[in-house]
Amino acid sequence: MRSIAALVRRELGVYFVNPMAYIILTALMLIFGVMFYSETNTAAQWSRPFTFSNLLGAIAQLMVFVAPLVTMRLVAEEKNRGTIETLMTAPVTEFQVILAKYLATLIFLLYLLLPTVAHVILAGKYGTVDVTETLTGYLGVYLITASLFAIGLFVSTICGSQITAGVITFVITFMLLLTTVLAPMISDANWWGKQLRAVVEALDPFRYLQDFLRGIIDTRPLVYFLSLIVFFLFLSVRALESRRWR
Amino acid sequence: MIEVRNLTKVYPGAVALDDISFSVAKGEIVGFLGPNGAGKSTTMRILTGFIPPTTGSATVAGFDVVRQSLEVRRRVGYLPENNPLYPEMRVEEYLEFRATLHQLPRSRRAAAVDSALERCSLGDVRERIVGHLSKGYRQRLGLAEAIVHDPELVILDEPTIGLDPIQVRHVREVIRELGRERTVILSTHILSEVEKMCSRVLIINRGRLVASGPLEDIHKFTTTGRTRLDLRGAPSGAREALGKLPGVANVVEVSRGNDRTFFVEPRDGSDVRSEVFRRAVEAKWEVLEMGPERVSLEDAFVELTDRSGPVADALGAAGEKGVGA
Repeated sequence: MRSIAALVRRELGVYFVNPMAYIILTALMLIFGVMFYSETNTAAQWSRPFTFSNLLGAIAQLMVFVAPLVTMRLVAEEKNRGTIETLMTAPVTEFQVILAKYLATLIFLLYLLLPTVAHVILAGKYGTVDVTETLTGYLGVYLITASLFAIGLFVSTICGSQITAGVITFVITFMLLLTTVLAPMISDANWWGKQLRAVVEALDPFRYLQDFLRGIIDTRPLVYFLSLIVFFLFLSVRALESRRWR
Repeated sequence: MIEVRNLTKVYPGAVALDDISFSVAKGEIVGFLGPNGAGKSTTMRILTGFIPPTTGSATVAGFDVVRQSLEVRRRVGYLPENNPLYPEMRVEEYLEFRATLHQLPRSRRAAAVDSALERCSLGDVRERIVGHLSKGYRQRLGLAEAIVHDPELVILDEPTIGLDPIQVRHVREVIRELGRERTVILSTHILSEVEKMCSRVLIINRGRLVASGPLEDIHKFTTTGRTRLDLRGAPSGAREALGKLPGVANVVEVSRGNDRTFFVEPRDGSDVRSEVFRRAVEAKWEVLEMGPERVSLEDAFVELTDRSGPVADALGAAGEKGVGA
């Protein structure tokens, strides 16, 4: 337990001594600020109700670009620098290392989402914000991003270089984003098409997000996200162990 | 402390270790000697539990490196090749991190870090960022990291590589100091390093143990048995006079400018230095130097790793006695 705490602290430390964390944070705040402005502006112009959930959905989509940046270095960098050797010859298990690295990204994710709360407060000051909807919305964004991070962590574990890990993670997360668009394009005229379309639809994490944004916590999306996370963490542990059976 | 039995490691398409067996007793400083790619690092990685052997077994302090890996890792301090460190951390912070990973209780951590800093003379850089340190300091930090949790066994892979002579001297001092109360294995391809620090040496080449034994044995085989005699000027008939001495089989004369050097080869390995000395006094030769002819350790090493020649054979025989000592 103490080892995990030490590993988490180190991982988090790395984010904040590198410019990467500040670049991601700044970019995210800038883009989110612009979106917030345009959303409130359109709402005011057409005198339509302003819903914060739309913005949360947009943040979730931005995370497709953020996830590779956050996760690419996790294990690939250790391999590249050779520090994996000092790390894995200390009395820590692969499971502890993967869990610690993942926990660090989860904490870092809190930092990423924290500034957006300012916009919620701002919106609440000049209008009404549905608190439940916003809270479940944040939970949805958090879960979907956590799943993308788990995928990124796994890719980083199997890659030898950060750049490779980043690119591959981006391709995967971007394909997940595209499933929303891709699914309706698959012809369901025959049985095979129908099955394929069902699979692609089932994979779409952003479809599951919709429930959260409407203030609903359904068990299906919870199971989907949690199993995605557990599955990729398990694969990461196995991948890190793989040097033992290669 | 260490028992290695028939260790073999096969990488896809390459045999890194081929049936190696040796043991190291508690408190020894053992030098692991061999050219690059001989299998030194592979052996060390197996001993530290980083990779498993293909076949064979190894135990450290009675624990199997594969099945009881965590127990082994708790007892071993390891400095890998190229000394990988986290450049973004501070020196003290890094040692504390390592001490925590090694499960040192919080009450003992600060003292352990202080002691490691002091032993490796890192006191004046404790607040510095690792990435900004010079190579010598980094190497010492690697050493400090390997000893911060007070391990029973310290494994150092090429601890002095890439350092300048002053830094090398300092690192060697630290290692010698370590060897007083701990078992140390270090690898190197520099012979003089083994000579200066180790009590025993294991010579490895192409994945095989070529020779192993105490350092004195190795020294024995760096002499050829011939006596070397340096004379000022070129006294006439010296070669013939030496050749006529009892017990002398052959004399080789080499000219060095105006001076002469003679290599006197005794019959049946006897010591002919006294006879040579008396003859020189009688003939009133001006003797500049006299002594046993030495092969440099480098030459002995090349011969050993080529697995041919008398040195390898003799050492191999001595090595049998050395194993398990």
